[in-house]
Amino acid sequence: MSEVSDRPAGGVAGSAGDGNDGNAGRRESLLARAFVRLADTLADEFDLVEFLHGLSVDSMEIIGAEAASVMLADTRGGLRLVASSEERMRVLELFEIQSAQGPCLEAFGTGQAVQAGAAESRLRWPVFAPRASEAGFRVMCAVPMRARTDTIGALNLFRGNDEPFSDAELEIARAMAQVATIALIQERAIRERSLLVEQLQTALHSRVVIEQAKGMLAEHLSTTVDEAFQLLNKYARDHNRRLTDVARDVVDRKLSHDALARRPAE
Amino acid sequence: MVRKDERRARIVAAVTEHGEITRVDELMQRICLFAVSEMAISGCTLALLAGTEPVGLLAGAGPHSSTVTELQFQLGEGPCLETCASGIPVLLPDLAIDGAARWPVFTVAVPSGVRAEFCFPLGVGPRCIGVFDLYRDEPGMLSDDHLADALIAADIARDALLYLQEPPGHPGLAALLEVVGMDRIVVHQATGMIAAQLDEAPPAALARLRAAAFESGRSIYDIAQDVVERRVRFDE
Repeated sequence: MSEVSDRPAGGVAGSAGDGNDGNAGRRESLLARAFVRLADTLADEFDLVEFLHGLSVDSMEIIGAEAASVMLADTRGGLRLVASSEERMRVLELFEIQSAQGPCLEAFGTGQAVQAGAAESRLRWPVFAPRASEAGFRVMCAVPMRARTDTIGALNLFRGNDEPFSDAELEIARAMAQVATIALIQERAIRERSLLVEQLQTALHSRVVIEQAKGMLAEHLSTTVDEAFQLLNKYARDHNRRLTDVARDVVDRKLSHDALARRPAE
Repeated sequence: MVRKDERRARIVAAVTEHGEITRVDELMQRICLFAVSEMAISGCTLALLAGTEPVGLLAGAGPHSSTVTELQFQLGEGPCLETCASGIPVLLPDLAIDGAARWPVFTVAVPSGVRAEFCFPLGVGPRCIGVFDLYRDEPGMLSDDHLADALIAADIARDALLYLQEPPGHPGLAALLEVVGMDRIVVHQATGMIAAQLDEAPPAALARLRAAAFESGRSIYDIAQDVVERRVRFDE
């Protein structure tokens, strides 16, 4: 981790031609703050769009770009625009999906960073490039949102002048995209597990409540617990309710035993 | 310090080295055997709970293993129940000293060969479905290495239980209850009957059942069976 963040931060100060310690220092502290934000997906109310909007804005500011966006793969493997640094980009990105070409798609497909100037992009992406140019962008790059072998999307950066992104700048973009990806994958895994735990927890609780309800009914109606279970089951079916909910009502004494013993009116 | 994924891979390899595992109870048993042979403990269990209500034992290894967890189920107190209620590990390097004030009955009743106990939740955050319950016949803290192993072993057990639930939303609960057996279910049926006899809420009824077992020295399951078969009443 330290290798990735230290090196490019130093590189940028030199390569971006600041020649100014104040700017370099500011960039470094922006970068440090951005990495902390990127690692923090454990907040109670994690918001994917806000998180990726942050990645767009941070990377744009730190690397020096006019616009940035993040696209993620949807369940069918297509790319979908999830966040961007400005609204104007949306038109462009939407177009990118429809035409199925452009730097984002390429970075996503190959898992490698991609960049091209105005002339080159016209050759590589004949449909996409003219639209980008109309919107005022001359240099475009994309880095994959990738962790180990998983590529989940790409981070897109556009510049309005002809200065290409330096290797150090691309390195920063790659590192930021990678940290964001790891954080997202972890967040997904935790959310998924948390949901499964909740389901199993509920099922186990239901089981206990159903057994308690069987015992209560059996006592009140002088039946066996098996007969009590048949009555619970039948009542749930006749009233189109979940067995667990009926059992809960019995245990909470919201449902009288007589109601369960009674034959439904025919 | 070994990396977390390497540690996990090592435990998975050790647990599966004797051939493919097709049943969840087999996996649970292998995890317990691994813990006893590799984590400097005397015994352990994997238990399934609904909040603080015991559902049953999934597996166990070592002398007294079932007794330690079972005793907590019967008494309704102990580190295992606290772990499941809070989702936080409970570490007791010296059970007699660390546990006496919190669980006075359990710490006295526990077999003399149990001097230290360590409980790890099977869950995510505060949500918990069971406990990995380890104990040792000598006091002392788990080493950092064994602590890390225990946390990961608990996660492996949890994941195995969770992914039994496929397809999502349709829990493979029947399969789990088959593993833990139905003999403990009778406690909840008896709880319902006692609640009806005394017009009380189930937790109060369960407390009475536990107290009756404790006083008579009989197993709570035997008394529960007597209640369900109407040989014992609580309102007389």
